[in-house]
Amino acid sequence: MATSTLKNVRFSGMATCVPKRIVSNLMDCKPQIRSERERLVRNIGIETRRMAPEWQCFSDLAYAATEKLLEQLGWQREEIDALIVVTQSPDYLIPATAIILQDRLGLSHSTVAFDVNLGCSAYPFGINLLGSMIAAGGVKKGLLLVGDRSATLDGPIFSDAGTATALEFCEDAPPMYFDLNSDGSGHKAIILPVGGQREPVGIQHLVPFRENENDQWHRATDLILDGPAVLSFSTQRVPPAVEKLLSYANVEKESVDYFVFHQANRMINETIRKKLGLPVEKVPSTLRDFGNTSGASLPVTMTARINKELESGCKRVLLSGFGIGLSWGTALLDITGAKFPDLIES
Amino acid sequence: MSQEKFIENFLSATDFQNPVEVTMETVLVDLPEWDSLAALGVIVMFDMEYGKTITGEDLHKIGTIGDLYKLAGY
Repeated sequence: MATSTLKNVRFSGMATCVPKRIVSNLMDCKPQIRSERERLVRNIGIETRRMAPEWQCFSDLAYAATEKLLEQLGWQREEIDALIVVTQSPDYLIPATAIILQDRLGLSHSTVAFDVNLGCSAYPFGINLLGSMIAAGGVKKGLLLVGDRSATLDGPIFSDAGTATALEFCEDAPPMYFDLNSDGSGHKAIILPVGGQREPVGIQHLVPFRENENDQWHRATDLILDGPAVLSFSTQRVPPAVEKLLSYANVEKESVDYFVFHQANRMINETIRKKLGLPVEKVPSTLRDFGNTSGASLPVTMTARINKELESGCKRVLLSGFGIGLSWGTALLDITGAKFPDLIES
Repeated sequence: MSQEKFIENFLSATDFQNPVEVTMETVLVDLPEWDSLAALGVIVMFDMEYGKTITGEDLHKIGTIGDLYKLAGY
């Protein structure tokens, strides 16, 4: 699907929950030498991250965010027709986390609930999917839960968060615009190569190895991330996608209040911002404090940086998610009168 | 662009911790701090300063800084 418009869908609110535990890339993580950690932080722009304790899943964070959001909206549980979870950190491989949450949240049996497997690009896709069900008329009120649990002490990038977004049918709602794209030829750029059906886990995958004595120890079950490939993809694909959506929506860059990008790393985000010629004050960032929270990074940034602004008056927001897949999506929303409770820690 | 300016940009992009002398003859992988972070910096530098898209594969094939200079179109 290329560009599209959704009508009759209102953005009603959003809540975001992060774990209480703070991990510092300067204090807690490798490499051994302080100046090397400083160089790393300077270049990736991530100083602290949130890391869930062993017992906490993504769904626990999303559950807390949803409870807060429902309370603020005053929605009744039996009114909720759809619950879509977009994550790559499900509670179990099967069944779907969304169905477990339907019961845990006390939603009715007539709620349609299912999972979608997307990572860093998740948010615009999720809004489009739930929005399409609402626009089609069957769903009046729906919840979109997005996020991941991907933080580790070994990698300096990823951070944990769970988020909830509420959409509802409203004939007066301003149109939402989308541009959603996929390029599976890049599926090896970010991949967990072992553990699926192509390569089930065997004992041979659990033996640690390293390339040389300076390398960290790895396992075949670890995430593989091809940094240069992801950087090239993001900085080549995202700026033209943003321009394309603005042109499709017939909207001037100047009339957009905020451009919220997936928080990948500083090098990627700064290159995208400069290519689009956007002023820093219109591009909120949470990289320094919350790292790369995968699909949750757009809600984390909206909640932690601009939630008060989004609650006041009408704000035009461009959202851009990009990454694993490879997959990239852009959405342009006018948000009025929505609820944006402060960041929750759990 | 002069070779001196190119080397200055290269050192800024790679952000090495310890001062190191770089000439056109310097072999990239012989630089003690050449790593994945430095490679990302060079890819961004090519994109933003020289308007050229290069990949990690391109950098793997590069021998000396002089080769990199040629890749930038000089």
